[in-house]
Amino acid sequence: MRRKNIIAAVAIILLTVVYATLTAQLPTRSLPDTPGPTFFPWVNIFLLLVLSISLLISSIFTVKTVENSDEFHEGPRKTKSTVIAFISFILYLILLPSIGFVMATIPFFAAMMVLFSEKRFLQIIIGSITFTVFFYILFRYGFNIFLPTGNWQNLLGAFS
Amino acid sequence: MNPDILIGISQATGIIVLFSSCIGVLIGLTVGMIPGLTISTGIIVLLPITFVLPPDVSIALLLGLYVGGMTGGSFSAILLNIPGTPSASATAIDGYPLAVRGDAGRALGIAITASFIGGVVSFLFLLFIAPILANFALHFRTEDMFSILLFGLTIICSFATKSLIKGLLSAVIGLSIVTIGQDPVMGTQRFTFGQVNLMAGIHFLTAMIGLFAIPQLISNINSNNNAKGRVKEKLSSIIPNRLDFKKIRSPIAIGSTIGAFLGTLPGAGGPIAAFISYDYAKRLSKNPEEFNKGAIEGVAAPESANNAVTGGALIPMMTLGIPGDPVTAILIGALIVHGLAPGPLMFLERADFAYGVIFSFFWANIFNFCIAILSVKYLVKVLATPTYLLMPCLAVLCVIGSFALRNNFFDVYIMLIFGLIGIFMKWLDMPIVPLLLALVLGSQFEENLRVALTASQGDVSVFVNSPISLSFIILSLISVIWSLRTARKKKRSIRA
Repeated sequence: MRRKNIIAAVAIILLTVVYATLTAQLPTRSLPDTPGPTFFPWVNIFLLLVLSISLLISSIFTVKTVENSDEFHEGPRKTKSTVIAFISFILYLILLPSIGFVMATIPFFAAMMVLFSEKRFLQIIIGSITFTVFFYILFRYGFNIFLPTGNWQNLLGAFS
Repeated sequence: MNPDILIGISQATGIIVLFSSCIGVLIGLTVGMIPGLTISTGIIVLLPITFVLPPDVSIALLLGLYVGGMTGGSFSAILLNIPGTPSASATAIDGYPLAVRGDAGRALGIAITASFIGGVVSFLFLLFIAPILANFALHFRTEDMFSILLFGLTIICSFATKSLIKGLLSAVIGLSIVTIGQDPVMGTQRFTFGQVNLMAGIHFLTAMIGLFAIPQLISNINSNNNAKGRVKEKLSSIIPNRLDFKKIRSPIAIGSTIGAFLGTLPGAGGPIAAFISYDYAKRLSKNPEEFNKGAIEGVAAPESANNAVTGGALIPMMTLGIPGDPVTAILIGALIVHGLAPGPLMFLERADFAYGVIFSFFWANIFNFCIAILSVKYLVKVLATPTYLLMPCLAVLCVIGSFALRNNFFDVYIMLIFGLIGIFMKWLDMPIVPLLLALVLGSQFEENLRVALTASQGDVSVFVNSPISLSFIILSLISVIWSLRTARKKKRSIRA
């Protein structure tokens, strides 16, 4: 916990420096004796710095207790699954606008099923297609939410 | 009778509204009982649907889910010793031993009955206190509103977090995120980097989907949540008999009162109310030695408390626009999407709708009792639903939910960024709830602070000159000091 608190404090201090730099570049139009658009960001910057420095100091001077030394370690296999899940999610979101909801969701759903320990091939195929089509029909025709259908004309045009 | 109450009753008793309340309860019971899914996740999943439904129908659906979810959490706590929601943790202490003893049906019946009574008591709290508080809140000035919001933020950091500093940091990060977009007083663009999509700021529902659902998805991969299981035992004698009812009367009264009261405090929430009620019921019991071994009072007290919290949490949400927990924060979002801002003005301008919400809450409790009692035998089969189907569905619904909010794919990317922030915060053991609350309240917080300072020509004493503002500032300080003292005591006991 101690190590994590130090990481959190340092990360927030760095982000606050970026936030302060951007705030300093904001227009400062204001009437006399009235707080302008930069007033609230500066209040936040002050609070972020005070709190993160307090966290840093208290973490550095904290005596290592049994609780504090009990760091959380994930197994390598679990970390790998997390990374794969996140990459699949990012790929899914990149592909979704161009190839459409149905075409992007089927492989994503299948990948997620595999990550959640489903090994049977037929179940994966049936599950991913059924749920994707179900969601598409439900939202498109049931609730009038126009999910992305893809930009196939542009995609095919790029290959021809 | 007040004509707005009559309109509210008729609004809440429309066929479609009642039907949507039933569906909400059914989904809530299901979502609540599945370990790994929370009520917030259930509401996030339903959000895209509520955007296209009329406000009365969507709020009935969400309230049904809220009430049902609280009860559903107890099913897995009793049958599997795994609380479906954090609020049901105290129920497992005596509920599971009862199930092991072969009294699972009895324990479930008591949990359902206690939930119902807790819910109805909190409905009465809501019905009688909310209009009075809203009327009182109409006299609040900007400095008073600022101090109330400050109190809401500090109390959630004190109650709902393990570390006060981390809780406050999380809240200030949320307040900083709120500064993206148009400044609420002068309309100046801040931190938009020329992006048209950022001009209206970051919608807190998009952020909420990412903050709650994505870390949950990832943690379920990590834990490979195999909480699912088949209930082999046949459930019988679900409706409590007269003797049982006599035994659980006072625990229910204790739980309902504590729950409804604690529900009004932002951040206190279901788990705290459930444990406090359990403790009180044990202390006041004639047979405290039976607790932890399968005492029905130990199921009744926490279950009535966690359902009573729901009505209590709706009081600050509806009268002041301050959410008490993530669920009421999402409810505020759902109302705002429909152009209805909860707060004192709601009781002035749309009192009919406000009463409609209150009576929808009542119906949700009635349906929750009926559906749970009649179908608990069949509902528990949901516990066998495989995670490999639930979690991909959750991921896809997160995308649909954030896209459907403004029909804009930019929001989906924002959801993903907040998902990353949520994962990082969880890894650092930083609480997410204060950030969420800050995202909901941040804009009002800044607006009230700046307007009050402008009116007083920059004189900060305006916040201590008003008695209401001063009271809430003192309460904020007390909550901070109380939290610091508790942390110091805990540290000392660890060292000892």
